[in-house]
Amino acid sequence: MNQVVGYLGVAALLFTIGVMGVALRRNSIVVFMCIEMMLNSVNLTFVALSKLVGNLDGQIAVFFVMVIAAAESAIGLAIILSVFRSVRSVETTEVSQLKW
Amino acid sequence: MSLSGFLVSLFAVAAGVGVVAFRNPLYSAFSLVINLLSVAALYAILDAHFLAASQVVVYAGAIMVLVLFVLMLLNLKSESGRRVSFGSAVFVTLAALILLGTAVPPIVAAFSTISPGDLSDYARRSNGTVYNIGRVLYTRYVVQFELASLVLLVGIVGAVMLAKRRSGGDMSPRSSSVGGEV
Repeated sequence: MNQVVGYLGVAALLFTIGVMGVALRRNSIVVFMCIEMMLNSVNLTFVALSKLVGNLDGQIAVFFVMVIAAAESAIGLAIILSVFRSVRSVETTEVSQLKW
Repeated sequence: MSLSGFLVSLFAVAAGVGVVAFRNPLYSAFSLVINLLSVAALYAILDAHFLAASQVVVYAGAIMVLVLFVLMLLNLKSESGRRVSFGSAVFVTLAALILLGTAVPPIVAAFSTISPGDLSDYARRSNGTVYNIGRVLYTRYVVQFELASLVLLVGIVGAVMLAKRRSGGDMSPRSSSVGGEV
């Protein structure tokens, strides 16, 4: 456990930074990039624990997370482009019509 | 945690803070590229060699290129178009060359003590090689693999449908505009 606990700490730190970015930034593309950073931190956790456990199941999980992240990035950026076409802005405060 | 792992982790966390901290979204995107490459180096340190390569190809090479395309297309008006002065260009080039110079002695030392046979030996003994990943992926996880390709297909179709220009409900090619704004 001593060899991978450092990497788990780094992954937790990156996840926290990603959460702060999603909460603090108003540019929706930067929010998307912070979501990608959170996904990366989870991948790092998987890889570190795969090395600890000794088999490859964690690395296969990372493979599938990367596939889903790639598909999600294509769709998410297409959504951002569509919103930009109608609102002419990427600020998250501009699309708050559903807020009470 | 090894020394190289610690240094690369420092880089990754600093770049991660940069993603959140920069006001200009282009700087955030470049910072995220540095973060993704640092995490790829961490995968290589943790013996996940196939994932390190695919992280560079998929994340830093495809997803971040897509993000940069969108950022450039949207042409956001925050702090862009500032001319770079000659003095700062010279300074940055010198700093980059010094940084590159610090990487040369470890690489030269490593190649003088490690033979290619040692490297393939190490790869054969470590866990996350392409052979091992493929052997598990196509036997135990083959159903998930096929479903993942289906997800990618749905993602492609969805992205094209979302990004298409709405041409007033008329499906004839005459009514869709070519060029112009995004």
